[in-house]
This record gives sequence, C-alpha cells and structure tokens, in this order.
Amino acid sequence: MTAIAAQGLMKYFGAEIRAVDGIELSIEAGEIFGFLGANGSGKTTTVRMLTTLLRPTAGGAQVAGFDVVRQPGMVRRSIGVALQEAGLDDLATGGELLMLQAQLYHVPAKERRARVAHLLEVVDLSDAAERRVKTYSGGMRRRLDLAAALVHRPTVVFLDEPTTGLDPISRESIWRYVSELNKSEGVTFFLTTQYLEEADRLAGEVAIMDAGRIVALGSPAALKSGIGADVITLEIEGGTDELARAELAVRALEGIEDVRVVDHAVIVYVHEGSAAISRLVLLLDQASVRAREVRLHQPTLDDVFLRKTGHHMEARDAQAARAAAGGRA
Amino acid sequence: MIQGVRDTFHLVLRALREARRQPAVEIGNIFIPMFFFAVTVGAIGNVAGRAFGIDNYLGFQMPVAILQAVGAGNAGLGMVTDIERGYFDKLLLTPASRTSLVVSRLCADGIRIAVLTLCIVVVGLIAGSGMATGPLGVLMLMAIGGLFGVAYSGIGMALALKTGSAQATQLGFLLFFPLLFLSPAFAPKAVFSPWLETVATFNPVTYILQGMRGLVLEGWDARALGESFAAIAALGVLTMTLVFGALRSRTA
Repeated sequence: MTAIAAQGLMKYFGAEIRAVDGIELSIEAGEIFGFLGANGSGKTTTVRMLTTLLRPTAGGAQVAGFDVVRQPGMVRRSIGVALQEAGLDDLATGGELLMLQAQLYHVPAKERRARVAHLLEVVDLSDAAERRVKTYSGGMRRRLDLAAALVHRPTVVFLDEPTTGLDPISRESIWRYVSELNKSEGVTFFLTTQYLEEADRLAGEVAIMDAGRIVALGSPAALKSGIGADVITLEIEGGTDELARAELAVRALEGIEDVRVVDHAVIVYVHEGSAAISRLVLLLDQASVRAREVRLHQPTLDDVFLRKTGHHMEARDAQAARAAAGGRA
Repeated sequence: MIQGVRDTFHLVLRALREARRQPAVEIGNIFIPMFFFAVTVGAIGNVAGRAFGIDNYLGFQMPVAILQAVGAGNAGLGMVTDIERGYFDKLLLTPASRTSLVVSRLCADGIRIAVLTLCIVVVGLIAGSGMATGPLGVLMLMAIGGLFGVAYSGIGMALALKTGSAQATQLGFLLFFPLLFLSPAFAPKAVFSPWLETVATFNPVTYILQGMRGLVLEGWDARALGESFAAIAALGVLTMTLVFGALRSRTA
C-alpha cells in the first residue's frame, strides 16, 4: 500500500522562485523514507505541501490515501508532524502540551492520560513532565515534539530535520525512537535531513533533492553501488592552476568513471581503486602537481550527492551559512 | 459543531493558563487603569460638580478605567508568539478548526477583561463610587467589558495573522487611546467643542461608555444598554471581518 504519493508536485513563490519543481514520489507504507538536500533545496516546502500547510502551485499528492488539496482534514487526522525548529508552547509543561494535542486530535477522554504517560515514557521525559517546556534542552524539545506528533497514533509521520543542531547523544536517541516505532508499530516516516549519516542509518529509501528537483531516488545501498566505482580523493597543493593541471592529468587514467573538482580536491571515480592509486600519483608527478593527501574509500551517500549535484551537501550549507553571516554583518 | 466547541474550550483554557503563568503582565494590566482612575479622580473630582455638573466623578470615571482595561487584550500578541515559535503551525496541523484557534484566544481575552472589570468595580465600590443597578449591574458591566474586549482584540488578532510580526501587532494599541479620548471619557459630551462633539457622536466607544455609566450612576436604561451592545456588535462585525480575512490569507 502506498503511504505517500506525489505527481508533478510544484510550488512556485512568484514567477521567479521554483521552490519545488515537479517531483514524483511513491512511498510504501511502513517505510522510512529519507529526503536529502541542502538548505534551500525544497525539502521543507515539499513537507509543508504534503502536510497541508501549503497549497501546491500545480501537481497532486496523496498522503495516507487522502488528497492533500481536496481532503486536507482527513490528511491531518492521519499524519503526525514534527516540523523544523520544534514549535512548542514554552509556557506549558511537557505533560500539558501533550494533553492539549490529545484533546485537539480527539483522542477519547478515557485514553488520554494513559497515552500521554506512555509517550512521555517512550521519549524519556516522564521525569520532566511537570516542567515548563521553556526549561527543556534542545534534545528534550525535539523528543517532546516527536511525542506530540505521535499522540493520536498516526500512520504516517513527517519529521523535518529532527536532529539538526542536536548533540550526538540526543541525535542517537531520536534515531532509536524512530527505528523502534517503525519496527513495532509499522509507522511510515518521511524524514528530511541534511545529515547523510542519518539517512544512511535509518532510511530504506532516499531521495536527493537539488534546486527543487529529485535528482536521485533509491535505497542507500543501490545509490552507492550505482556509482559503480571506488572513490579516490586527491587533496592538491596550490591554487586553481594546480587543480586544473591535476584534473587534466588524472583524466588520462584508464578505467576512470568520472572526475570532479571540489574545493582543493580532485575526486576520481575509478574501478579497482587500490590499483589505481600508484598510477594516479605518478600522473600527478608527471604534471608537476603535488597531492597533500590521497584517500581511497567506498562510495558514500555524499559521493552520490556530489555525483548527482556537482557539490558536497555540507559544502553548500557551509557556503550558505557564511553568506548568511555576511548578510547579517 | 460540538467538537468545534470542545476544541475552542480546550484552547481557551490554554490561553488562560498562559495568562496565569505571566502574573507580571496581568499586574501591569490592572495597574495602568487603576493609576489613571486614581489620578484623574484626584485631579478633577473636586471641580467636576462645578465644571460639568457631575457630583459622583468617581462613578463617572469607573467605566473609563474598565475601558482602559480592554487595552490589556493580548490575543494578537499571543497569536504572534505562537506564529513566531512555529506552534501555530503545529495547531494548524491538528483537526481543530481554524476558527477555534482564533476564537479561543479572543474568548480568553473576554474572560480576562471581565475579571479585570470586576477588580476595578470592587476598588471603585470600596472608594465610594456606588452602583445604581446593584450586583446585576456589576455582572452587566463585566459582560460589556468582556464583549468589548473580544471585539477590540480582533484588531490585534487581524494584524497578528496578517503580518506575523509583534511590532505590527502592537500598532493595534495605538488605535485604542484616540478611540477613548475622542469619547466623553473625562467630561460629558455637552461641554465639548462642536468638532469634538461630532467626532464623539460617531465614536462607538461613546455609546459603550454611556451604557456603562448609566449602570453605575443612574439605573437600568434599556436604550443606553441597547446602544452600548449595538456599538460593540458594529465594532465586532468590523474586526471579525478583518480577523477571518487575515486568517484565510495566512492559511491559504
């Protein structure tokens, strides 16, 4: 059974900005689906359309069997959502916040207290249930937000960057809850993330978004094996001239799949990478270019991302952060 | 329908809990009208009889203090806080109707202002204002104060929903004092200069004030009360039109 489907889903803001530019999705019930992309790639806009918070410009989508435009009320009854930044009521206690969620989702009055107590236990917040939310740490807020998304036993849960900004321990605990709920209750999760490790660890299938479009779709293993080669990263000493000479030199290697230049590195996709390293170093030497560091590894999702988009996800985000910091200064 | 009423009830309790948990805000809300009440009566009370023919200036001013308490309406600011924190999105994602999300905050303001009205009346009675219509009149004052609070809070709510900005929402307060001061707040309309009398005649606050003053100073007056409720209704229709227009544009 399909839990989430989209056909040519689009969202434009004005004539210029194509935040989401015609995406197709078909996500089976019981799956954890990872939606990867850098800041501004269209992930959150897609989530807001699928959760009925934003009306699509064109195309269609169905969630839990209901159309997001024609049956928004039915969609909302079926889904749980934890949006980016964990929007919570700071003046309420954790217990009060979950109780209000239970009341507004029309959980039967007889079951509410038990359901709230159970969820607080699931997310390790029973001891903090009487404390006001404003005293919670970032990790506690995310866990409470997750519990709030689950209060009415939804069949589909959207988590928009649930671990962004969290410390590794809090991130690990969120991953554990998602994984357990998926296994024990068969909940379908639609998980947007900037963390490739998160998608690799949790998701059965991932989509990579770039500039409002899905540029890759499949299981992490299939996407990685789709690269069909080992990855050798050559960190080059010098500037753009040396990088250009290095790129030209390594392209002469036989059996090469692809070459990418990112920052100060030349990334080479090649079969039997261990055998190719010595030849690559020789080619660089002949081109009078020195490699500061040479690394060989199996393809990761970041390599898939780079191959499909031409940039590292982290690099793009760092640029965006630097631009934002510059804009504020 | 019944579910909508239940949702509204739960959200009203949540808004009132917010007020309880910010006691400093409520102290400020009661202090400001009380302060102006005391200062105005202290400054003008002794000459009001000779100047305007009003012997009980304390009773004449008590409804003004109640109207000033309406300025304590904070439904709009509460909504802006929810929008800025992202909690409004969380509420929009529940099956609760959009109307409940908005009406609940306005109702909570009405209840808060009715309670502030009671506090002002108790202080006024202790100070000697009297109450020509007795305990039922006090309840009627609370009802008028509360309903005017709901209608007036619609301005802040509309600004909050339209802009999502705290600064813009606070502009709603700027409208309050011209409305109050362009009514017979400190002296009867009869002593106004012609231009001010004309403005006051078209100001709905004039009729709300006159209805409340009648309850304190004169006794039951169906016509004055009718005009008072009609003025609240007219203001309410206008502000609710703005509120639901802004809600539609935010959730479209």
